[in-house]
Amino acid sequence: MILNFDEFQKINQAENELNNIRIKNLNIFKKKGFPSKREEDWKYTDLKTILFNNINKLEIPNNKKTSQYNDEWLLKNFQHNQIILVNGDFVSSNFSFEDKEKIKIKPLKMVLNDKKDFEKIKDCFNDKKSSLTSLNHALVNDGIFLEIEENYSFNKPLIIYNFFNKFSENKIINNKNFISLEKNSKLNLLEYYKAEDSIKYFNNTVHNYSIQENAILKKFSIDSNLDNSYNYHLTNVKSYSNSIFENFLLSCGSNFIKNEIHCDLLESFSSCFMNGLIFLSNHQHHELKTNINHRSEHCKSSQLVKSVLLDMSNATYQGKIYVEKNAQKTDGYQLSKALVLSKNSAFNSKPELEIYADDVKCSHGSTTGNIDQNFIFYLMSRGLSKEQANKILVEGFLNEAIETITETNIQSLISKLFIDKINKTKF
Amino acid sequence: MLNIKNLSVSIDGKKILERFDLKIKPGEVHAIMGPNGSGKSTLANVLTGKNGYEIEGQVFYQGKDLLNLPIEERAQKGLFMAFQYPLEIAGVNTNNFLKTSLNTIRKVRGQKELDSLDFLKLIKTKTKKLKIDEKILNRQLNVGFSGGEKKKNEILQMTILEPKLAILDETDSGLDIDALRIVSDGVNALRNKERSFLIITHYQRLLDYIRPDFVHVLADGKIAKTGCGELALELEEIGYEEMGVSK
Repeated sequence: MILNFDEFQKINQAENELNNIRIKNLNIFKKKGFPSKREEDWKYTDLKTILFNNINKLEIPNNKKTSQYNDEWLLKNFQHNQIILVNGDFVSSNFSFEDKEKIKIKPLKMVLNDKKDFEKIKDCFNDKKSSLTSLNHALVNDGIFLEIEENYSFNKPLIIYNFFNKFSENKIINNKNFISLEKNSKLNLLEYYKAEDSIKYFNNTVHNYSIQENAILKKFSIDSNLDNSYNYHLTNVKSYSNSIFENFLLSCGSNFIKNEIHCDLLESFSSCFMNGLIFLSNHQHHELKTNINHRSEHCKSSQLVKSVLLDMSNATYQGKIYVEKNAQKTDGYQLSKALVLSKNSAFNSKPELEIYADDVKCSHGSTTGNIDQNFIFYLMSRGLSKEQANKILVEGFLNEAIETITETNIQSLISKLFIDKINKTKF
Repeated sequence: MLNIKNLSVSIDGKKILERFDLKIKPGEVHAIMGPNGSGKSTLANVLTGKNGYEIEGQVFYQGKDLLNLPIEERAQKGLFMAFQYPLEIAGVNTNNFLKTSLNTIRKVRGQKELDSLDFLKLIKTKTKKLKIDEKILNRQLNVGFSGGEKKKNEILQMTILEPKLAILDETDSGLDIDALRIVSDGVNALRNKERSFLIITHYQRLLDYIRPDFVHVLADGKIAKTGCGELALELEEIGYEEMGVSK
């Protein structure tokens, strides 16, 4: 990696405090480097090698800013509010369906330069999960800062468009997003990714969500329109009393993606649902790592991950449910089902339960297999080709994950994107 | 329509059918009866194209060599088998599956593919005619269906795909009287001068509803006896063993 840190500092002037944080974290990263197989959390995903083999000249974005994107990339026939980020830079936002009094939205760049605002997010810079987190602390220069006031429910979903044009070729993008939902508020959030012409970049983004009492956040990540990109998304969620966090992942687009989601159920009766599908072909490598921490009584968590792997692809699901001693009456559930359809593809599953309370209900299951040939015979005996039969079976298998989406308009949107993807795939 | 000549089939070296012959002309209904393990289902599977059998001999379907055709082409050319044990396929919507199947077959036949609306209309008429609850079409293919519902679904598929030769593999097993009537009404409604049926069954009961032109008794991998409808009655009365037919 080419680190022009002096130039970076010049472009991204910051208060002394942030500057010190940057230097400190950069040194941590320099010492550790990118994570590799030697670290337990990265056992199935050797990022160091992956980056070395694929993007050898990774560099920090320079001053040549550009915010070009194609209007056709925006989703049509779907009413929504939007925030547009291009190459990681906050470009515009539009909340035409909402009461603007109830929403506070700022580019993170402004927050980083404002002493008072910076206080609000300062704590997150103490996170030392991996060297990538340190790198993000050191190099973060933009992102989203969004606050939703008490008792406000969004009328329409919010789509965060993450566009990448040719100026992000070989760049490393370090963003942080902060979204906080005050008491009784509600938001449906779609993270939508699209890159121009197979450009290659590494996106290292940290998402922070705070969901206060009775608030509901439903979040959907869609990477089906990425192809050549490399991504690491770290999501930290703090859930307070009686709140709901729903997370859905359509993980099928990029060359490499690791989604790591940590959800702390801090107060009683909060719940967290993490569902998704991983559908890979060629040399794609995706990983989903979840860490659900039950820290209080009567909390619920549920996870369903369905994966289908073709060609030389590789997927990993590491799902952990952690139950603290005082988190009695916990209800935790986790299920992973995978179809490995080619000799050269692989699926790794590592379900973990760590329980210190004695009155809990926790279960997990994991299956990996192939398509039943009798199913194929049945479908072919009705005139379907082998390709059609495989397709209909894979679609059916993965649909179970899509059916967990509780918002019907979003469900049909994601279903459409998924069908587009599956129709382009050769079985 | 179908001409089976000297067909021998074995699995892992074990002979199931041996020098089996059968000729079915257009419009004819043939019933094959036989004790358990006599090779009835194997015959149906081989004709449909299931893998895993060692096959010798010849089968001509509409004058063409059937055994060299891939499974889906047999179906596209009008061969249909109603399965003895229809499979439960989770996640696959019955409606979508049936529409894909019909449109694939229509395409091969040079007919226009049906859009969702026309397909829905077709489904509505056919289910009504067969007295099948159309709700089963919104469910996952056979998942959680009762034995009767599964068999009715097979008959519905047959009715919609309008095959030239339909093979019914023990479709009557496990059916109550009402379901049996629905199944046989479905078959009888499709009977015409061009369409042939091969009905595999254990019991004479089904043949009360569907009158076959010929009844064959299968034993030791070949046809031991052939007769008209009365042969079935006779069998029912005295059993396979008395008739000199056993495994």
